[in-house]
Amino acid sequence: MTTLDPIELEVLRNALTAAAAEMDVTMWRTSRSTIVREMLDYSTAIFDADGNNVAQSARIPQHLNSMGYFLRTILDRFVPADLWEEGDVIISNDPYCGGQHLPDIAAFRPVFSGGRRVAIVGTLCHHLDMGGMSPGSYAANATEIYQEGLRIPPSKLFARGVRNDVLWRLIAQNVRQPVAVMGDLQSQIASLGVGVRAVEILTARYGADTLIASCSAMLDASEAAMRDVIRAIPDGAYEFEDFLDDDGIDVARPVRIHARISVTGDTLVVDLSGSDREVPGPINATLGSTSSAVYFAIVAAADRPIVPNAGCYRPIEIVAPEGLIVSAQHPAPVAHRLAPGHVLLNVLFGALAKAIPGRLPAAYYAVSYVCSFQTMEASGARKVLVEIEVGGCGAHPDGDGASAHSFGMHNNASIPIEMIESSMPITMVEYGLAPGTGGDGRHRGGLGLRRAWRIDSQAATFTGQMDRFHFRPFGLDGGEPGAVGHLDLIRDGKAQALPSKISNMPLRNGDVIRLVTSGGGGLGPPSERQASLRRRDREQGYLME
Amino acid sequence: MNASTKPVRIGVDIGGTFTDLQIFDARDGRIVAYKLPTTPEDPSIALVEGIKTAGRRYGFTLSDVGYLMHGTTIATNAVLERKLPAGALVTTAGFEDVLEIGRHYRREVYSIHPQPVPALIPRNRRFGFHERMRFDGTAERVPTEADIDAVITQLAAVDIETVAVALLHAYANSDHEQRLADRIRKALPRLDISLSSVISPEIREYERTSTTVLNALLQPVVRAYIERLGARMRAEAFAPHLLIVQSNGGVCTPATAAAEPARLLLSGPSGGAMAALELARQFDEPNLVAVDMGGTSFDVSVVRDNRLEIVTLSEIDRLPVRLPMIEIRTIGAGGGSIARVNAARQMTVGPESAGARPGPVCYSRGGTEPTVTDANLALGRLDAATFLGGAMALDRDAARAAILARAGDPLGFDTDAAAAGILRLTNTNLAAAIRVSLFEKGLDPRDFTMLSFGGAGSVHACAVADELGIRRIIFPVDASTFSARGVLMADIEHAFGRSGVRRFDGSAVAWVRSCFESLKAEGAARLEADGIAPDDRQFELSADLRYRGQAFELSVPWGEISLDDDGIGEIGLRFHAQHAQRFSYASPEDAIELVTLRLAAIGRMARPQISAEQPSHTDSPTAGRRSVYVNGQWQDVATWRRDAIRDSLEIVGPAIVEEDYTAVYVAPGWSLARGRDGHLVAVNNEELA
Repeated sequence: MTTLDPIELEVLRNALTAAAAEMDVTMWRTSRSTIVREMLDYSTAIFDADGNNVAQSARIPQHLNSMGYFLRTILDRFVPADLWEEGDVIISNDPYCGGQHLPDIAAFRPVFSGGRRVAIVGTLCHHLDMGGMSPGSYAANATEIYQEGLRIPPSKLFARGVRNDVLWRLIAQNVRQPVAVMGDLQSQIASLGVGVRAVEILTARYGADTLIASCSAMLDASEAAMRDVIRAIPDGAYEFEDFLDDDGIDVARPVRIHARISVTGDTLVVDLSGSDREVPGPINATLGSTSSAVYFAIVAAADRPIVPNAGCYRPIEIVAPEGLIVSAQHPAPVAHRLAPGHVLLNVLFGALAKAIPGRLPAAYYAVSYVCSFQTMEASGARKVLVEIEVGGCGAHPDGDGASAHSFGMHNNASIPIEMIESSMPITMVEYGLAPGTGGDGRHRGGLGLRRAWRIDSQAATFTGQMDRFHFRPFGLDGGEPGAVGHLDLIRDGKAQALPSKISNMPLRNGDVIRLVTSGGGGLGPPSERQASLRRRDREQGYLME
Repeated sequence: MNASTKPVRIGVDIGGTFTDLQIFDARDGRIVAYKLPTTPEDPSIALVEGIKTAGRRYGFTLSDVGYLMHGTTIATNAVLERKLPAGALVTTAGFEDVLEIGRHYRREVYSIHPQPVPALIPRNRRFGFHERMRFDGTAERVPTEADIDAVITQLAAVDIETVAVALLHAYANSDHEQRLADRIRKALPRLDISLSSVISPEIREYERTSTTVLNALLQPVVRAYIERLGARMRAEAFAPHLLIVQSNGGVCTPATAAAEPARLLLSGPSGGAMAALELARQFDEPNLVAVDMGGTSFDVSVVRDNRLEIVTLSEIDRLPVRLPMIEIRTIGAGGGSIARVNAARQMTVGPESAGARPGPVCYSRGGTEPTVTDANLALGRLDAATFLGGAMALDRDAARAAILARAGDPLGFDTDAAAAGILRLTNTNLAAAIRVSLFEKGLDPRDFTMLSFGGAGSVHACAVADELGIRRIIFPVDASTFSARGVLMADIEHAFGRSGVRRFDGSAVAWVRSCFESLKAEGAARLEADGIAPDDRQFELSADLRYRGQAFELSVPWGEISLDDDGIGEIGLRFHAQHAQRFSYASPEDAIELVTLRLAAIGRMARPQISAEQPSHTDSPTAGRRSVYVNGQWQDVATWRRDAIRDSLEIVGPAIVEEDYTAVYVAPGWSLARGRDGHLVAVNNEELA
């Protein structure tokens, strides 16, 4: 192996990151859907010749680390590396071939230099629709994956640069908004082309050997950094568990998420065997999804910045027997795979907090509050609004948790009220912090929020997919838990509580749906809270009114 | 004698480190530059001192000065340092927390302790007003006198200097804001008032509220500065026509600046972009990427087809500002950027900066960590003796020692290799920033000429251009005060916007017309007040459009198109074309929506008539030779004084061209010659790969 110049290595590292950023800009620039442009629900990455992620541009934590798992599975089980040829584009969205849920299509393309594979570039995009029993392929009442939409096994959408028109038409024929979906898929392909060119330029300039050796050195450096982080954690086994309210099908049965983290020297084993079995409702996660949460937890918990790449994962082993809520098997439905992911992140932080006290926050709200309205006017016009709300962050050893702020496995922006009201017959009645929802403690949990929608059309339907209505976000180190969330229908002045998972509930003119989200858990005994902070909380109205 | 008949016009750009002046004197048609250290405690001190000193040096008196065009970071710094007065915010009742919640996404994906930017006005000074406007400007709830009284009572009970009012849908109907403001003015006349329907009458409540709050809190700050400056000028019997630079590149009167100070917030780098635009037109270089590298930051702006790109939403310290401004990409890379090597033998350069204090090691002001400037000095690209015209002797040995200790030894490199590594990393970072700036607009760097200015950029320009495949670079005259030249060339500009989401078809004609007429009347009144003659007034209309269902808009200039059915059709076609250029597709079959109508009311200022500058005649055009580290070895390289370069001379790299505040490094493969108006032009002569 050639000896690497550390400057050249750094130049190449920056260049690969810049290449991922150029792929990212290409996606953004050429895509068609608001899901890409507004919610930025896509990622781009560059892998070494063996499929290890070396550089990534990602906006949504759930996407971080997820493409690598997908690519690994495709290479190991479906399309071996020696079948990848110049100009091929290999796509899949199948959770049971390494993916997470059907709306996410991953696309990969190899880069060659003198006939030798030197890298693979990849993009992952959340598409507007993949067919199935409900728009957006997000049915809350699916009980098997066949109801959730079209499954694309790992396939060559392009073979040596030639498009497979049958596959292309097959996808277009099975999705609700083919123009947007195929447009976004086209953007993924354009983005891959940009990535390939960028890597080819680097290869021409620095040589294939240097590029390959540099990728290997980058992985080794991140692995070494991760091992340093783990070595600083005391050896031992640390356990924690928490619960999801229910799966929406059997509303009386909570779902356990359990983790046992064992640290030995510079390696770490995450054993999820104590988690419940997979459930009938669509809140299951494949091992691919679960790996994202595990890797995110460990990298985020590190006491120093680590360049995230596949090298970080080497010292970490995940143990999860098949068929659990965190390792769902075909044909379990998985559309809301983020539900266990959020709770798993809290559980991992809870376990690690026992090992490294003073570094990790108490529990956050840990749920994506998905609120979907369809208004129907007398004229027959229908309009759809989908919002994802957030709650309070857990208190941190350095201070109070942030109020009403995206945390953990998702990262959503709010939709402006004035934009909603300008585009459909809905009026927002209130939007603000929810006082008193943050867990008390030396450091207080962040506050959840209040948001209420009034229906101004003749009729409407409401679909909600949420959680944390029974189990409070836990406090740490003597801190109080945050408050649970709740959802009400206010009709004719009377409030009526709704369950956390609800599909196509009919609404009429004047009805108000009011959501209050969870606050974060507190940290440290409440008796240790500074008087000045209590006074500020009172003055600012952050406590129960 | 009024301002336009006095011979001297001055552009001043006050930065964190230096106050730069460019001075045009109509009596000889020349522009001269002057530079002095900024006085952070009160920037007006250096401003007035600088003008007096420059006057003595270049032969003009204070009474010769007509227009004084002033770029200032006073508003920017007040926000960055949070030196803001106490204020209150009035919102629609039930929505008092919009300012605190913001758009609730986080910037750092891996952060486990996200810290959203604290609201500039705390919760107990945010008051709900019982009123409600709908999106179409009709009222769902009209406030009663008692509702108004309740707000006045709350405002009277708190100790504040200023109040912001931001009600839902006030962009569609300002009536409730105006009624409340009238009563506040009567009841509490000591308060400054900012209304969202005046400051940023555009849809999206959080961004409008944030902009209005920033404006409210800056009103006392900017007014106090203008009063201080006025007092200082009166003390010198100095009475120029003062104009202040805004973020959109236009200037405004001190009265406008004091009333709408949020318009100044991002004006810092706009002078450079304006100067680039002026130069693009002069040079007939319609596609120019302008890079301004100073001590701490690197600003990239793009002139395409002789136009600067304007954006309507930006931010300062994570706080959104929804006002028109020149699109500029800034990264934290400058001469003061610090090079570090971590335990894994990984070298990084920036974004931490040694700033002006302690500054690079070679400044001998206590800096211990090697910077980009230290690396340039260590390798002979900068000269220890002539830096800042010899005003500041640099310690080259200290720079080399620090590079060896902090970068060389940890990497196992000698000093030269370590310094070359710092420069190489810097150059690739700068190139990446430029590439993304162009890429996101669908542009290719190879179609552009680079314009390099700022104190720290010209030693890097050739290497950065090589990274990008750019083959032509312009080094303007007075590169280190080039931003002040943009200020000198500015026009007066008032920007207006009105939101009203609606289908963009024939049904929008009436609204567009009435909006245009009322904005134009408002603009004309403002220009009248500025003393701009009707012939010098210009009104530029544009429409922010989107496909229905999209949540972002593209601004389409209206130009000379008529305001009727046909005109709307024509603008629609332009929208499709513009969308295709920026986003690579158009959907002519989809409905278009109008979101905001914008009008720029421009007061054209007379252009200085500059006579071509002549090189001064010196006996020895070559300043000398010195040893410079080039491509891994020390070479004996020619150095030139910039002011000695004549028309016929072609300088072949490697070579150094020195001027008072900066130096150009002409890399191997490049040659450099004097172009129009004394600007230098470098060209890469190598065969394309």
